[in-house]
Amino acid sequence: MDTLASLLHTSPAIAWMGVKIVIVFSAVMLLASVWTWVERRGAAMIQDRIGPNRAALFGKIRILGLAQLLADGIKFFFKEDLEPTDANKGLFWLAPFLAFVPAMMGFAIIPFGRDFTSGGHVYHLSVLDPGNGMGMLYPLAIGGLAVYGVLVAAWSSNNKWSILGGMRSSATMVSYEIGMSLAVVSLFMTTGGYDPSEIIAAQGHLPWHWNVVPQFLGFIVFFTCMFAETNRLPFDFAEGESEIVAGFNTEYGSMKFSLLALAEYAHLMTASALVATLYFGGWQVPFVAHPSVGLSILSFLIKMLFFAWVFVWIRWTLPRFRYDQLMHLGWKAMLPLSMLNLIVHAWLMSHGR
Amino acid sequence: MGVVVKKVELSWLDRTYVWPVMKGMGITFRHFIKQLFTPTSKRYTIQYPDMKKQMPAGYRGLHELKRFEDGAIKCVACFMCAEACPARCISIEAEEFSNLNFTQGFEEKRPQVFKIDMLRCIYCGMCEEACPKDAIWLRNDYEVAAYDRLSMQFGKWDLMNTYAEADGKERISEDPIPSVPRRAIAM
Ligand code: SF4
Ligand code: SF4
Repeated sequence: MDTLASLLHTSPAIAWMGVKIVIVFSAVMLLASVWTWVERRGAAMIQDRIGPNRAALFGKIRILGLAQLLADGIKFFFKEDLEPTDANKGLFWLAPFLAFVPAMMGFAIIPFGRDFTSGGHVYHLSVLDPGNGMGMLYPLAIGGLAVYGVLVAAWSSNNKWSILGGMRSSATMVSYEIGMSLAVVSLFMTTGGYDPSEIIAAQGHLPWHWNVVPQFLGFIVFFTCMFAETNRLPFDFAEGESEIVAGFNTEYGSMKFSLLALAEYAHLMTASALVATLYFGGWQVPFVAHPSVGLSILSFLIKMLFFAWVFVWIRWTLPRFRYDQLMHLGWKAMLPLSMLNLIVHAWLMSHGR
Repeated sequence: MGVVVKKVELSWLDRTYVWPVMKGMGITFRHFIKQLFTPTSKRYTIQYPDMKKQMPAGYRGLHELKRFEDGAIKCVACFMCAEACPARCISIEAEEFSNLNFTQGFEEKRPQVFKIDMLRCIYCGMCEEACPKDAIWLRNDYEVAAYDRLSMQFGKWDLMNTYAEADGKERISEDPIPSVPRRAIAM
C-alpha cells in the first residue's frame, strides 16, 4: 500500500481509500449485473423452465448463459436513445443517475471484512471508516433519497402510467420508512452504538448472539421494508407491469433503462448487505473468534449473496400486493410491531437483562 | 343472478403472513432444486435446435407423395385432393402414360405437375382423407421453412422425396415409364 501511495504521490490513507472505492464499487456493479442473470435463471428454475442459457462467448463458450450479461449490455448500449417529445429533458436524463447513485452509495458504510494492521496502519474494510459520525443513519438517509430517482423518472417522462408509478412509490415510502427506522433504532439501543462496525462487534461470533435471535420481530419488519425499499416484488408498485405498463420506467429505453435496472440490483445488493450486517453478524464467521481477513470477507459475501438470493426467491414466490395493502401493512402491522419490539427491548434493558 | 363470493376465513397463523410466505418459499424451492438436478434431457423444455420433439403417430406435418417399389408414383391424378383442399393450394396437371407389360395397352393417368403451395397449406389432412389411392400422406416433419416464397412451392419431385432420407429410400427425379405424347384422336 505504501509503495502504491508513493507511486501516486499521495498518502497511504488516500491511496487505500481509492483502492477501496474501486474494489467496492466494481464488486457491487459486477454482482448487480451478475444478479440480473441469477434472477432470470433462478426464476426459470423455480418455474420449471430453463432460462437464458444460449448466449455464448464467440459463439462457442456457453458458461451457463452468463454471457447474456454482455449481450444485454451491448444491446442496451447500441439501442436508439429515445425520449418522449413532451418529456422534461433535463430531469429525464438526470433520473437514471438519481436512481443509480444512491443505490451504490448506500454500500459505502458497510464493513465487508475485518480490519487489519499492516506497517503500523489500521486498515478498515469499508469505504467510510468507522467513527465517521454517520453510522447507520447514512444508509437510511441514502435509502430515503432513492425514491427521488423513481419520482423524477416518473414525473419527467410526462406519461400517466409513469406518474401513477411514481406516486405509488412515494406514497409507499412514507408508510414503510418509519417502521424500518424504529426496527433499526431498537438495534442501536441493544448494541449501544449506531456504527455498523460497533453493531457487528457487539454481535460476536456465536450465531445465537446475532441480532436476529433476540430481535426476530425487528428482523422481519426490517427485511419486509427492504423489499419495499428496493422496489421489488411483492412491493414493486412503482413498476407494476401488469397494472400500469411499466410504471416509472415506461418511457425509458436503451442505456437509461439499463441504468434504472442496474440501480434496482445495486439497491438489492446494498439491502442484503445491510440485512447481513445488522442482523446476521456482518463479517463475523460462525464459531471462529478471530477469523483471518480473507475468511471474514468470504463470510460476509456468503451472507450477503444468500440474502440477495432470498430477494430473488421471494420475488418469484409471492404475487404483488395491492398498493393499499402495503399501506395497511406499513401503518397497521409493521409500525406497531417495530414499536412493540422497541418497547420490549427497552423494558428488558431497563431491568438489566 | 349475482355470483356469491365465498369469503375465505384466514386462520390466525395465515394472517401473520410470515408462515404462508415460508410455505410458499418451500414450494418454490422444491421446484428449484428439482429442476436444478434434472438432467437437461428430462426437463420439460425441449431445446429446439439441439433436441427435437418426437411427433406422435398421426401428426400432420409435411406431405409425401407415395411411390411403388419401382419408383412409379401412386397418385392417379384424380383431383380428389385438390377438390377437398379447403385452402385450395394443390394444383395438378395430368398426363397419360402406358405400360404395355402391365396395363396391356390401356392408358393410365398420373400427374405431370403436382404442386402444393406450402405457404397456403393449413395441414388439415383433408387431402390425405380424400385420396382414393393412399397416395398422399401427411407425416411427421414440421420444419417447413425457407428463405423465399418460391421455394415454398413444392413440386411433384419435391413431394415425392420429402421423406427419402428419413426412410432410406433413394431420391427419384424421373418416372420409370415415360409418358406418351398426346395423340390426336383418330375418328
Ligand atoms: S393438408 Fe389440407 S390444406 Fe394442405 S394440401 Fe392437404 S388438404 Fe390442402
Ligand atoms: S394424391 Fe390422391 S387424391 Fe390427389 S390426385 Fe393423386 S390419387 Fe387423387
